[in-house]
Amino acid sequence: MRIEHKSWRDPLLIGATVPLALIMILFFVVPLIMTGILTFQSSRYYRLAWTWDLTIWRDVFGHSHYWVVMLRTLGMSLACVVLSVLIAYPVAYGLATRLGSLRHHVTILITFAFLTDTVLKTFGWILVLDQNGVLNWGLSHLGFEPGAVNILFTPTATLIGMVYNLAVYPIFTLYLSLARIDRDLQLAAYDAGASRFRTFFEVTLPLSRPGLYAGAALVFVLSLGAFLEPKVMGGGNAPMASELINQSFSTRVNWPLGAALTLVLIVIGSASLALSAALTLRRRGGEQGRLSDVG
Amino acid sequence: MSDRSRSIFIDVLLVGSVALFLAFLYVPIVTLVVFSFTGSRMLTLPIESWSTEWFGALLARPDFFPALKNSTLVATISMIFATVLGTAGAIAWVRFKFRFQQTFRLLTFAPLLFPQLLLGVVMLLWFSVLGQWLGFSTGLATIVIGHIVYVTPFALVIVAVQVYGYDETLEDAARDAGASGWDVFREVTLPLLWPGIFSALTFSFLLSWGNFYVSYSLGGTMRTLPTFVYSGIAVGSSPIYPALATLNFVPALILVIVADVVRRRAACRNVLPEPT
Repeated sequence: MRIEHKSWRDPLLIGATVPLALIMILFFVVPLIMTGILTFQSSRYYRLAWTWDLTIWRDVFGHSHYWVVMLRTLGMSLACVVLSVLIAYPVAYGLATRLGSLRHHVTILITFAFLTDTVLKTFGWILVLDQNGVLNWGLSHLGFEPGAVNILFTPTATLIGMVYNLAVYPIFTLYLSLARIDRDLQLAAYDAGASRFRTFFEVTLPLSRPGLYAGAALVFVLSLGAFLEPKVMGGGNAPMASELINQSFSTRVNWPLGAALTLVLIVIGSASLALSAALTLRRRGGEQGRLSDVG
Repeated sequence: MSDRSRSIFIDVLLVGSVALFLAFLYVPIVTLVVFSFTGSRMLTLPIESWSTEWFGALLARPDFFPALKNSTLVATISMIFATVLGTAGAIAWVRFKFRFQQTFRLLTFAPLLFPQLLLGVVMLLWFSVLGQWLGFSTGLATIVIGHIVYVTPFALVIVAVQVYGYDETLEDAARDAGASGWDVFREVTLPLLWPGIFSALTFSFLLSWGNFYVSYSLGGTMRTLPTFVYSGIAVGSSPIYPALATLNFVPALILVIVADVVRRRAACRNVLPEPT
């Protein structure tokens, strides 16, 4: 791979970067700054008033209701991360090492399921989990009593929906990490007398850490904004932060409040991404250090 | 357990988990397709009679065609912008070295790390304030802008993978043979990157087509197919939504398979003429 050094006077570089950068600045960075600014305003008679004070922030931190919903969101997101990673690891490992030529077809099937309409898939889950739905019908044929599984419109259903929509991300990041592991390292561990489990925990798992951290952080951040799953599959009984944000726009028409709640989630999300990046980098630094000690 | 039977056990466990995950992914999808052919109003098993009447009922809905038209328009425009911007960005990501490259990378990758609803809300706030100053309201144009911001990073990553495995000596050869800069781009660079670009086109179209969150936040009174379904199932379920799912999934699956065949054919072509 040859890399060309470019100066900013090069028209090719300007053409390749400036339009995209402008769009991202104008419609992503500036809106973020605007969101920050709006949290210092307030809402009067359903209109935005430029007051420049801390009313909204006092409101957000002063009401226990917001705290309850935020903590619930964090709890659901953490549960979603744990489940997604536990599911994704064996799937990505199987995909990277055991499937041979089938791997390709499986990847396409996963990609297709990932790309299609989320609303329709969520609606599909309603039909599956309903008391008279597909799952209970199947179970009743296996000898369970009718209506054995009754989880629709509970947080369990919300969690199933979140894992369903997000588990694909760690599968891809873990797959990229696992497929790059040099098979010789594992063989060397076997030669040295390590058991399969020891090899996994001391060679494979540490080498797949970047994919693990990246996938976990991605699921966590994206699950903070889950809206469809709690609303449609959870039945709106246990609202998450996204529902509060949605309400502050649609029913209360309070933009500053919506902006403040959004900003809280963005800060939590960014902090967890930074943590995951720091963990990955520190590990890598540590391993390089150890290698150079040996050399 | 002997070493051999243990290794078979692990094989079965890993392959089994892939199979189980595929089943998990396709349970709601297959369910929808099956229910789209039901003859009854109720969406419960067992299905006693089969019919295709719900496809007709879907097409007869007065708000279906406007939503279909909006979705097509939005997805087509977003696809073109996302792929062009993503391809240019991917070349800058991988092949160039320049000042502020890290900033550029962060800037163009960040929307991928954002929950879509928050991305939509943040842009909604901006468009609302801007709309108050300039006197416009949200609609199709703001949906398109939102989709471009959301989809471009995906397109960029897909094309970047293609740029990464790209043999630039072919460009040199064309240049030595006297081709101009534009000719080299059109005759060498573009055909070599085409499989990645085609994947990016497919991906962008489908991501935009199936996008709910950004359209929901930025649509105002305009509806695309996902928001049409959302507002419909909020009121009550009906077999027309499974029918829409079937109409949606079949072309999408074909598109994904075609994109993959194009990519693999090109991969074979690029490998064969190995210089010896």
